[in-house]
Amino acid sequence: MRRRGRALPWIERVGLAVAAIALIFGAWNVAIVAFDLQPFVLPTPQSSIKAVAENWSALAPLTWQTVKETAVGFVLGALIGFVLAVVMSLFRPVQRLVYPALITSQAVPIVAIAAPLVILFGFGMLPKLIIVAWIVFFPVVVNVLDGLAHIDPDLIRLAKVMNASRSREFVQIRLPATLSPLFSGLKIGATYAVTGAVIGEWTASSQQGLGTYLLSANSSLDVASVFGVTLLLTVIGVLSFLLVMAVESTATPWDHRATARRRSRPADRLP
Amino acid sequence: MRQDVTRACEEGGRVTEPKLVVDAVSCTFDATPVLAEVDLTLEQGEFVSIVGPSGCGKSTLFNIVSGLVRPTSGRVSLDGRDVTGRTGQVGYMLQKDLLVPWRTVIGNIVLGAALTRGATRADRHEAARLATRYGLGEFLDHYPHALSGGMRQRVALMRTLALKADVLLLDEPFGALDSQTRLDMQLWLLSVCEDLNATILFVTHDVDEAIFLSDRVAVMTGRPGSIAADIPIELPRPRGIDTLTTPEFTELKRRALSLLHRPAFERSAP
Repeated sequence: MRRRGRALPWIERVGLAVAAIALIFGAWNVAIVAFDLQPFVLPTPQSSIKAVAENWSALAPLTWQTVKETAVGFVLGALIGFVLAVVMSLFRPVQRLVYPALITSQAVPIVAIAAPLVILFGFGMLPKLIIVAWIVFFPVVVNVLDGLAHIDPDLIRLAKVMNASRSREFVQIRLPATLSPLFSGLKIGATYAVTGAVIGEWTASSQQGLGTYLLSANSSLDVASVFGVTLLLTVIGVLSFLLVMAVESTATPWDHRATARRRSRPADRLP
Repeated sequence: MRQDVTRACEEGGRVTEPKLVVDAVSCTFDATPVLAEVDLTLEQGEFVSIVGPSGCGKSTLFNIVSGLVRPTSGRVSLDGRDVTGRTGQVGYMLQKDLLVPWRTVIGNIVLGAALTRGATRADRHEAARLATRYGLGEFLDHYPHALSGGMRQRVALMRTLALKADVLLLDEPFGALDSQTRLDMQLWLLSVCEDLNATILFVTHDVDEAIFLSDRVAVMTGRPGSIAADIPIELPRPRGIDTLTTPEFTELKRRALSLLHRPAFERSAP
């Protein structure tokens, strides 16, 4: 339940991350030289990044658009997933009815449903949000449902012996128990969400985003931009993951701290 | 000393009401009798242990007294009130500490209040006082995962005490601890009991523990469970480590062990 290795100091962690990136970029450069690859086949990471940097004024609003779709879709998917899981755990018949449908929903190829979604909901934000939410909600439902199902029955019995009201038992015992699994689901969702936004833009879009830019760069053989934007999307994905992790660490302090932060209640201290 | 109090009340002409009465309680699960008729009476302030092999129905008896399980027949009364099948009447503690990981020591101690009416500042204050008094003062803001097994069980007992129930049910509370820690905890529990006049029903499979802590030891035998003997433990209080090596203690232990193991011999005889 708890993963508590000895925490590395942040400077070491950042150092390791930088080293990992350097390793990837190094291997990338070595591959270009070793296989004698032309820039229109595989540009160097440096020129890919340059392509993005030089075009940043044009790319910034597109990036914002894609980030917006990713973020709103992510929150939407997480909310739907969480509420669905809670309702399913409270009402067993709903769970039996809905669970097979959930699994089926994930078997539908996302790329394939993008087109029908555009037909149904037009060229605006909505189909993109639906695709992102579609991807994000599933790991959330599965994890939260698991968390709710694995609450120690003895703890529930203890609550009963204490004459807990059903609502308080839910708020004080069941709900907090969903937090850790919820964040496991959100971390999976965070990395996939960007992909969802890009797929949504690929089908048809009235508003330009990084996905649409990727398509046009691809068709105009601007290979450096294709790789540059791909790198940019990767960075967005990683940052989303880190953001979820940061929120997790403040929301579940008991997972990694020995004591609660004192909320200056001197009254508690009195013997 | 406790028996003296009871006697004094009786001599005063008014027979005191027993605190807890388990009256001809039996229990059957799926046509399997788990408890034959069990009778047990606890006076106010009495510490009674139930010893018996695993599967003898100790835990079922506990669940019945706590109100979680309805007996097939018989009744449980508290201060003369029928509380059969009613929860929220007694304190309850298990071998598993069942501390809530997201609550601090204080937060866990006030769990009972939080689950019923919401924990107030006064509850937290009282919890801090209890915890400080019984050796948890440095850990008020700790999360359970940062505590040792013994400390966690102390918190669990404080949580049980904070319920302010007159009767505490402790189901092998030290069963998962190593023997060193267990002895520390027993000594600690003795000191807690001296302060509070709580009536305690204690389940264990450890005969030493039962004799060391109790005013009476009820020996239970299994399938279906019933109380084979009720041994009064007249060892003087306060008790300490020395109590464990007195001839009286050994004699009591011999009696309890022979009672516990007699049925097994009888069964194996032709």
